Amino acid sequence: MAQLFTADVENRGLVLDPRTKLAVMITLVVFALGSAGSDITAVRIATVVLSFMPIVLLMTAKQFGKSAVYGALYILVKLSDMLLVPQLTGLAHSVLGICSLIFVRVMPGLIMGAYMLSSTTVSEFISAMHRMHIPQQITIPMSVMFRFFPTVLEEFAAINMAMKMRDIRLGGRNAGKLLEYRLIPLMVCSVNIGSELSAAALTRGLGTKVRRTNICRIGFRLQDIIVLMMILSVYVLLILGRAGVVR
Amino acid sequence: MSGAAAVLKNVSFRYKNGDAGALTGLDLTISEGECVLLCGSSGCGKTTVTRLLNGLIPHYYEGELAGDVTVFGRSVADTAIEDLAGTVGSVFQNPRSQFFCVDTTAEIAFGCENMGLPEEEIRERISGTVADMKIEKLLDRSIFNLSGGEKQKIACAGVSAMQPPLIVLDEPTSNLDLDAIDELRRIIRHWREQGKTIVIAEHRLGWLNGICDRVLFMENGCVSRDLTGAEFFAEPTVSLNTAGLRSVAEKRNYLESDTGVTAIKPFENAASIELRNFTYSYGRHTALDIPELEIPAGSVCAVVGHNGAGKSTFVKCLCGLQKGFKGSVTSGGKACSPRDMRRISYMVMQDVNHQLFAESVLEEVMLGMGNEDTDTALEMLRKLGIAEYKDRHAMSLSGGQKQRTAIASALLAGKKLLIFDEPTSGLDFHSMELTAQLLSSLGSECTVLIVTHDMELIERCCTHIIHIENGSVSI
Repeated sequence: MAQLFTADVENRGLVLDPRTKLAVMITLVVFALGSAGSDITAVRIATVVLSFMPIVLLMTAKQFGKSAVYGALYILVKLSDMLLVPQLTGLAHSVLGICSLIFVRVMPGLIMGAYMLSSTTVSEFISAMHRMHIPQQITIPMSVMFRFFPTVLEEFAAINMAMKMRDIRLGGRNAGKLLEYRLIPLMVCSVNIGSELSAAALTRGLGTKVRRTNICRIGFRLQDIIVLMMILSVYVLLILGRAGVVR
Repeated sequence: MSGAAAVLKNVSFRYKNGDAGALTGLDLTISEGECVLLCGSSGCGKTTVTRLLNGLIPHYYEGELAGDVTVFGRSVADTAIEDLAGTVGSVFQNPRSQFFCVDTTAEIAFGCENMGLPEEEIRERISGTVADMKIEKLLDRSIFNLSGGEKQKIACAGVSAMQPPLIVLDEPTSNLDLDAIDELRRIIRHWREQGKTIVIAEHRLGWLNGICDRVLFMENGCVSRDLTGAEFFAEPTVSLNTAGLRSVAEKRNYLESDTGVTAIKPFENAASIELRNFTYSYGRHTALDIPELEIPAGSVCAVVGHNGAGKSTFVKCLCGLQKGFKGSVTSGGKACSPRDMRRISYMVMQDVNHQLFAESVLEEVMLGMGNEDTDTALEMLRKLGIAEYKDRHAMSLSGGQKQRTAIASALLAGKKLLIFDEPTSGLDFHSMELTAQLLSSLGSECTVLIVTHDMELIERCCTHIIHIENGSVSI
């Protein structure tokens, strides 16, 4: 369940450079969410193809289950947007129309986000940020934060288990206090672990003035070039469309 | 080799919000190349000494510090913790909270990367460390798939790769089984041969016999006795125990007993809890495969097995907490589904903080009672010796008191099967003995299962051993 920055290094499939993933993300935001060039047919078609890229990427990272669920969901939303909504009239038309419009635009970005977080390791992240000349003052706190999420989720699972044993659940006698009962132990445990984690990181020299090095080898490989070419082609189509070459 | 690695001069320290001083006028010189054991009962200040050496005090844990601490001639107070990193390496108690990366190689490299060493050198250091410690097969693994012992080895490797002249370990064996402790002993012996100065704060002592040059016995924030290793390990068990220390003599290793249920004390077997079809697998990996097992009702059973043998899966199934588990339990002639099991069983977790919810101890223990009867609840609190804290918030109690609160709430909810996960990890002799007495007194009214590596605890309170290896009880 803990999926953030916890890429399973033993079984991760095709590895992309974090910067490639970022480029895909930006492109999805520009075309799928921002619907740039939606007046050009070629770009519109390319955007639909591009929207399936995160689903394919999840598959290459061997996350087949997630990929299937997201894929099915996206196709469903897209189909309803294309086929169902034009058939409807009145209130149903506007409500469903707005919903599917939002989902069609937002989902590719969300799926890409899920892929990015679940397929990148902390050291790859630090390394990529370093190559992009993002200062350490930003990278280090962010990486600590990402490291902390899976741990909090683990704690949350343990607390849920304890609540089950005590039969504290929705519909039980103490339903009104469910949130309080969950939050107090979660906060106490998170604070403890967070402080132990930072203490351990400090004793290993995190945050020295010395310029940090990184043994994690990231770089553009064949798969990165293929993905980047695909992204680039969408931008090229946009420019050609604006120039009036394609429609 | 004759220089001083660390000098503490008239050091006193009091934690912010602490009532008493953790250290009171401590004078201590640790020579280069020495292997020093700090021991003493809980709260004697041994962890505080390790924190002074790696700079966590005064830079991370706040409080009032008086006196001078110097490590290899550098004043700790004037040096930032992160700048001490290359000089002092630290290994902590909890493997869960000392990892920064998710894969082992990056984790070993982490410290060196922070020191800004060139990539080539880091790679050389990693391969050197890995060869020294013989952990080649742990490289490029996911941290989440390692056992506690393996995690602790990776933590040691990360420290080793930074090549610090002084290494401090704060209760490194709390979560380890005996075999993993053996491996840790080998690593420390290796560091000693390299001429490193080593300081270990520990409750479990037996494994350090023959490694330590010097043993400091601490009491109330001072060193009360300064012995050589040979002198200390020759002390009789009784005098150690009266001083609040665990014994140093090797205990009977229950991991060498046959798998399955073995009685270790005379026990009148009246009825039993029968488990059937206890099988569970994660994906393709079979984590548990026990077709049949009988636990004597009213017994106190230790559940033993190596790290990763399937002990926690076993107890989770028994509590009805493992999703997708299909086995059944027959108790007193009545078949119980996992749901019924959740009703009659209760697990006291290793981190008790996970299971204390309410605003006061009294409210906490009455949370699961069928009919809320304050008198019965107070009676139970008195029996467990925590009646005076009934209005305090459970989170503000000490570890042992929290444990008792959890036990009280389980008993009041009418639970018949109590399961304890490592109830004595990190406890000194007196607290361990108290816990042992408490656990055996519970035996009469319910059945108690204790998942533990603590052989002293088993010897003191258990009537039976359930030995699990590779998820199974038959060889």
